[in-house]
Amino acid sequence: MAKSDGGFNLFDAEERVLAEANALRESLAESAPDIRNGVESLTESYRRSVREQRRLVKVSDRLQNQLASVNQELARRKAEAEEALARLREAQETLVQAEKLASLGALVGGVAHEINTPVGIALSCASHLADSTAQMRALFEADDIGVEDFERYMETASDTSQLILANCERAAALIRSFKQVAVDRTSSERRRFDLAAYIGETLASLSPRVRQAGHKVTITCPPGLEVDGYPGALSQVLTNFVMNTIVHGYDPGQSGTLSITVDEPVAGQIRLVYADDGCGIADAHKNRIFDPFFTTRRGAGGTGLGLHIVYNLATGPLEGSLAVDSATGHGTRFTLTFPRQASGGTPPEI
Amino acid sequence: MDNLVIAATERSPAVDFDFAAGVLSLKGESYPEDASTVFGPIFAALEGFLGVAECRALRFDFELIYFNSSSAKALMNMFQLMDKAAARGVTIEVNWFFAREDETMKEFGEDFSEDLEHVTFNLATTQN
Repeated sequence: MAKSDGGFNLFDAEERVLAEANALRESLAESAPDIRNGVESLTESYRRSVREQRRLVKVSDRLQNQLASVNQELARRKAEAEEALARLREAQETLVQAEKLASLGALVGGVAHEINTPVGIALSCASHLADSTAQMRALFEADDIGVEDFERYMETASDTSQLILANCERAAALIRSFKQVAVDRTSSERRRFDLAAYIGETLASLSPRVRQAGHKVTITCPPGLEVDGYPGALSQVLTNFVMNTIVHGYDPGQSGTLSITVDEPVAGQIRLVYADDGCGIADAHKNRIFDPFFTTRRGAGGTGLGLHIVYNLATGPLEGSLAVDSATGHGTRFTLTFPRQASGGTPPEI
Repeated sequence: MDNLVIAATERSPAVDFDFAAGVLSLKGESYPEDASTVFGPIFAALEGFLGVAECRALRFDFELIYFNSSSAKALMNMFQLMDKAAARGVTIEVNWFFAREDETMKEFGEDFSEDLEHVTFNLATTQN
């Protein structure tokens, strides 16, 4: 038997026993053959048994080594997978925030477009009034104002100042409503608000986009319905619904009607139904529309986060539930149910 | 006699043989590539010490988390060496520590203790 280096041998004791057995067998050379043969066969069995033990220890060591390295590999991969998952979650969170900002951007664009009209009218009226005034001044300095000139000027002044006033008021109203929506969207502040008015303000901000696509909007909401909750979340939900309809709801060139219908089926429970009469959602997609990154428009600007954000806001800050009902060619209907009064606790992130 | 102190590695246990105090210990895991490089020095030191330890009282603490088959055989050889020394009159106490939920390590301790006639063998759970 070969000895391991350093003089250490795991089977040292067994080898000594075998050496003693050999010596015993030799000293039995003169004794009866049956005793000699018996000792010889016992020694041989023991030798085989020790050999077998060595082999088993070797095999077992090897298996244990393999097991240890497999376990190490497993732990390494698990750590890797966990790290990848954490990175993915971080990236998802970043994208969700970016998507929210992008939809706020759509809102800002809408408002800018909307304000442009009254400001433009007011500007041209003011310019027209200034011109007329300069002409009047010239006539006055030449002491050459006729009654007719004066009457015409008075008419112009009265018309333009009325138009300037009305359009400035319109612009101020738009800015006021947008300011509230923008503050809600970025501050996640809880407050009491009039639901019908708030839906109106949000949809007004989006109306240039809606009009551009040729869609009509109908809002049916009981007047004076007051909600205590997170208007920013609601505004975000409505914006995403509308933008989804505009992007996915209709074939190019086709237009339809978007409707928002609010009621209170049970006291304290608000039901908001958002519906369009567009092309609907294919059955194969219906179960996945709330999944993050699910989009049918990848590569065409779709991030697949719009409805995921809606779902999170509906079940998070709004403390409600969201259901979808849609069939190909028969429009899409989202039913959002949420309490009129949000429960206490820390304000959620919107 | 010089003490034997070897730091643990990923695959071999920490060795601390304090011959002056008569306290020896093996702690950690043991599944070395080559059992002789780990247990060769341990054996040589133990054999040398037991040879000159007549009439002394020794304590040996084992606190092993995992060992492979070669290490198990080496441990058995160490116990045989200790039992022989105890038969000659060296007082030897072995403490076999195992984690509370580690049934396997407890059973190994019980198996080893069956072969020992002269050594006092204690099974004990570790703190954690």
